[in-house]
Amino acid sequence: MKNKYDIVIIGSGIAAAALSQRLLKNNPKASILILEAGQSVKMQDSAIWQDLLVSGKLPYTKYQDLPYPTRNTPGQNRSAGRDVLPVDGSRVMTFGGTTIHWAGWSFRLKPEDFKLYTNTGHGIDWPIDYDDLEHYYGEAEEYIGVSGSPVGQNTPRKKGYPFPPFPFTLEDEPVIQAFRKLKIEYSNVPMARHGSTQTDSPHAPCKTTGTCDYCPFGARYSANNFLNEMMEWNRYPNFEVRLNSVVQEIMMKSKTEAKGVKFFDKVENKMREVSAKHIVVAGGTIESPKLLQRSKSKFAPNGIGNDNDLVGRYLLIQPWTTFTGVVKANPKKMQTVMAFPTLCTRHFDSKKEQDKGKFILANWPPATLPTTLSTMMQNGDSSRDIKKAISENYTVTINGQSEIFSEHRNRVYNLESKVNQIGLYETVVDFTKPAGFDHRLEEIKEHVQKVFLEMGAKMDPHFSTSIRADHASCTCRMAKSPKEGVVDKDLKVFGTENVYVCSNAAFSSMGAVNPTLTLAALSIRLGDHLSKSQKG
Amino acid sequence: MVMYEKQALHPLSDTLVSLDPEVYGSMFNLFEQIGIFWGNMTDATPCKSLLYTFMDGRMRLYPIYRVYYIQSGKILDALIKEMGNEKAYRFLFTDKKINQKPIETPLALVRQKVSNEFISLQLSLGGFKKFGADNYLGYIGGAYIPGEKPPYRIAKEQIHEK
Repeated sequence: MKNKYDIVIIGSGIAAAALSQRLLKNNPKASILILEAGQSVKMQDSAIWQDLLVSGKLPYTKYQDLPYPTRNTPGQNRSAGRDVLPVDGSRVMTFGGTTIHWAGWSFRLKPEDFKLYTNTGHGIDWPIDYDDLEHYYGEAEEYIGVSGSPVGQNTPRKKGYPFPPFPFTLEDEPVIQAFRKLKIEYSNVPMARHGSTQTDSPHAPCKTTGTCDYCPFGARYSANNFLNEMMEWNRYPNFEVRLNSVVQEIMMKSKTEAKGVKFFDKVENKMREVSAKHIVVAGGTIESPKLLQRSKSKFAPNGIGNDNDLVGRYLLIQPWTTFTGVVKANPKKMQTVMAFPTLCTRHFDSKKEQDKGKFILANWPPATLPTTLSTMMQNGDSSRDIKKAISENYTVTINGQSEIFSEHRNRVYNLESKVNQIGLYETVVDFTKPAGFDHRLEEIKEHVQKVFLEMGAKMDPHFSTSIRADHASCTCRMAKSPKEGVVDKDLKVFGTENVYVCSNAAFSSMGAVNPTLTLAALSIRLGDHLSKSQKG
Repeated sequence: MVMYEKQALHPLSDTLVSLDPEVYGSMFNLFEQIGIFWGNMTDATPCKSLLYTFMDGRMRLYPIYRVYYIQSGKILDALIKEMGNEKAYRFLFTDKKINQKPIETPLALVRQKVSNEFISLQLSLGGFKKFGADNYLGYIGGAYIPGEKPPYRIAKEQIHEK
């Protein structure tokens, strides 16, 4: 291992993979070190896949957070706000980051999302607009291999999707008919499950096995697969990934310039230092601000970029609501066949709804292992009883994902008295739901109720809402000035010359859609920006 | 890169001795009986090698499965001797007590650690089709390749780009 690099990237998820891929495309000899605190999970292994198939066990749960402690259970992290925002299950601290278990939904934000404050008075505007990112959205879709159709997306685009969409399933049919009757525009869910992209992945396309939490083929984009292949096939002589390396702090040599990072090498069991011309923090929405906060020095007594106490603040999530309804009689014997949805609507992801918080709806039949069929057989039910149960009725599940607005009081910070199984400080999550949160969900329910009514389905009046940290963002938000946020339009931390945050943490706001494609686009854009800086 | 991959092996995997062919045969008989009892797989023979690969995978991840399979063969032999083939498998597949957790009897072990897992596998290898679908969680029906017939039932209405 060298002790000097052009660029050190902290974290190995999609931001690190897309950024390093672009940097190396621009200069195959670029000197890049990726430091990952976690370790690797074996991918594309048939025995692990079959273990999931028969028992529902996943190989990476040991690298996830535990639930918060209770009086009777030890747990991890601390919930300090008025409302509990669970972290457990929402991220994976391993090589490849959370892409090891993400669902592959690859939406673009809409142009109005970049003008949130101008349009609604909530939050802030992004310091860039949709047109600044459009080209990179296209590149990101190529990079992660997105299948989709522009119809119903309502996002301007110069090029079509790289691959055509997954056709709607038979289970989508009644929902499509209801949408049509209600004049709700619908669309395919854009999915990064094609595998073979024009960049660094030789994987086969999706085989629709429905075991997407652990894809046995690598069809769904996963950053660790791409990073492995970059190391294995592309002969980048100065590209290095080090696992088990827990970055403790970014070291500054002046008020504005970082000299490198200090990390704990878990294999050698010792502290090490490396220097770099540029440092990119790509540790996700929770770890990125925590690293800036604990990088305290005489130059940055409150941590890097934290003179205004904004690092870690404005924590934002997207509530996920599940509505179910039962259709009497199922003559076509419809069952869950895939673990990802093919039908959604962005009808309510519109400028008209922006002031109250946009939302999308997706028809996503529950895809659980063990399945209903296997459970019935294992219980000893007869073939006749099973066929009767399948034909009698069918449960439709419509999921809503909605936008809320970030607030200064919601934040994350280091729980310095406790270290987790990865070697990272545990986290204090201080979160309180914004005013009107529950009322907005009731409004969404009313829209969904109309859809169920059109289908002739009996809707369960009770719906479940998850406010987990899966799509957490904005904790180092991008802004026009250091009074409003932590990083500038180039993702550079205000007041520094060479420290960047490339993560959902850098989002200014997040609309109603999944953040990963936008993060990939921002990462590729940063790659071009840093390549120019290196040349300059 | 292989050097970065944590091996999906149990530390004892390398010390495992292969199962006797009789044990594999006995387990295939059990697998075959699932299709006969529920009428959802008329010929299990094409699945034989997939079943054996599955068993090898289970033993690789959890070496104790070698003991489960050996003991299950013996327990099933005794049960068949006592009840006859058809009644023995009917009892194994339908008795409620032996499906209760925790596992406390030899037959509960056969049901929960072997038979129930074979049911999940059998469904994913095509046993689900008799229940009316074209695709199923775990079924490898073919790749989704644009332009070719999708490996699942699709809605009549699709979006066509202009």
